[in-house]
Amino acid sequence: MPETLKYTEPELIDLLKLRQQTAFSYLYDNYASALYGIIVSIVPDRELANDVLQEVFVKIWKQVSTYDASKGRLFTWMMNIARNASIDMLRSKNYQRSQQNRELTETVYEKGGSTSTNVEQIGLRKLVNSLKEDYRILLELAYFEGLTQDEISKMLNMPLGTVKTRLRTALIQLRELMKK
Amino acid sequence: MDTKAYIESGIIESYVLGLASVEEAAELEMFYTQHAAIKNAVDEFALMIERTAFENAVTPPASTKETIMSALADEFSEGRTVTPIIPLHTAVPETKVRNFSALKYFAAASVVLLLASTILNFYLYNSYRAANNKYEVLLVERNGLQANNDVFRTKLNGLEESMRIMQNPDVKVITLNGTKGKENNLAAVYWDSKTKDVYFLPTRMDATPSDKQYQLWAIVDGKPVDAGVIGDCNGLCKMKNIPNAQAFAITLERKGGSPTPTLSAMYVMGKV
Repeated sequence: MPETLKYTEPELIDLLKLRQQTAFSYLYDNYASALYGIIVSIVPDRELANDVLQEVFVKIWKQVSTYDASKGRLFTWMMNIARNASIDMLRSKNYQRSQQNRELTETVYEKGGSTSTNVEQIGLRKLVNSLKEDYRILLELAYFEGLTQDEISKMLNMPLGTVKTRLRTALIQLRELMKK
Repeated sequence: MDTKAYIESGIIESYVLGLASVEEAAELEMFYTQHAAIKNAVDEFALMIERTAFENAVTPPASTKETIMSALADEFSEGRTVTPIIPLHTAVPETKVRNFSALKYFAAASVVLLLASTILNFYLYNSYRAANNKYEVLLVERNGLQANNDVFRTKLNGLEESMRIMQNPDVKVITLNGTKGKENNLAAVYWDSKTKDVYFLPTRMDATPSDKQYQLWAIVDGKPVDAGVIGDCNGLCKMKNIPNAQAFAITLERKGGSPTPTLSAMYVMGKV
């Protein structure tokens, strides 16, 4: 259960840097679900997503000394660790082997998410899916599948400059959706 | 810069979602600290994303937390004194120890060097004393040699002077032969016809008793004129100046000479 004691973000960061278990426990209790939501939107397989979540919290613990508050909020930092770990999982040999068995590559490409677990599209992915196709596909590939702009350019046979500008536009549109 | 255009370019969204390139991210981080408008725009979008994430949270399995906590059990500071995060490099203490050992080594080496230096000093000092003594001895010897040298020089000068006198064409030689009973004696008088200086050479004369001395006489118009006593001369003996004389003779007188000659003690004589 979440602690009744509430920390401000600066307090939490200081205590984490002092290696306090209480602070880390608080961090998990308050942020694990939100981060898990992001992880499952990229790695639908729950067992693997669970592995990623554990890996993410260990990474957060070990790398908290590198967190620089002058570069952004704590959650942004943790979210990016979660996303990168998720994409690493997607690219790992184990995962790709298991996916080949399911022949879902095309489905993922089209529908933007694994259908095997029948998870309702939630959160950011739901928003992305409501964008115009030209923009949806770019965010799908860049954010959820972690492809570089170079890789996207080759895959869609689209000039790199176009990829870049269109991606920017897609993000602006996404923001507009989120404001509602 | 046009912050409005920058904010509306999509770069902020790109950065927050982790899609920005390294260069783009570095640039934004710089602007984040420099422009309040940009900072606000970044924080605003970050909060939107955070809200979305919380709205779509998925509860993980209950056991996951425990798994994570046990994995990191050794790293928590509770139960221990609070320690700050240890930086990656732990080589600093090692370096200090190394330096300390080096210090000990250098201290020991210095002591050894000092001892060696002291021993060397004793040796060198003794060598110096010995050398100094020899030097003193040499000095004394040198002084002695110098003195001898002076003596020889004087003697040489005297002899050179005598040679010059004898070689002078103006100087006449008068041989003084031994008288009856004293035939073994022989002497000479060198008489400068211009200066009238008289020089005496005791070619071969009997040694005189300690209380007696030879005296030279010039015979002028049958009368004897004192020309001086004969002392120890270096080469020629310089005598009194005699303007005119027909003969010279040597008599043995008491030490210091006599106003009149003791004719019975005449040793040599010669006519001019």
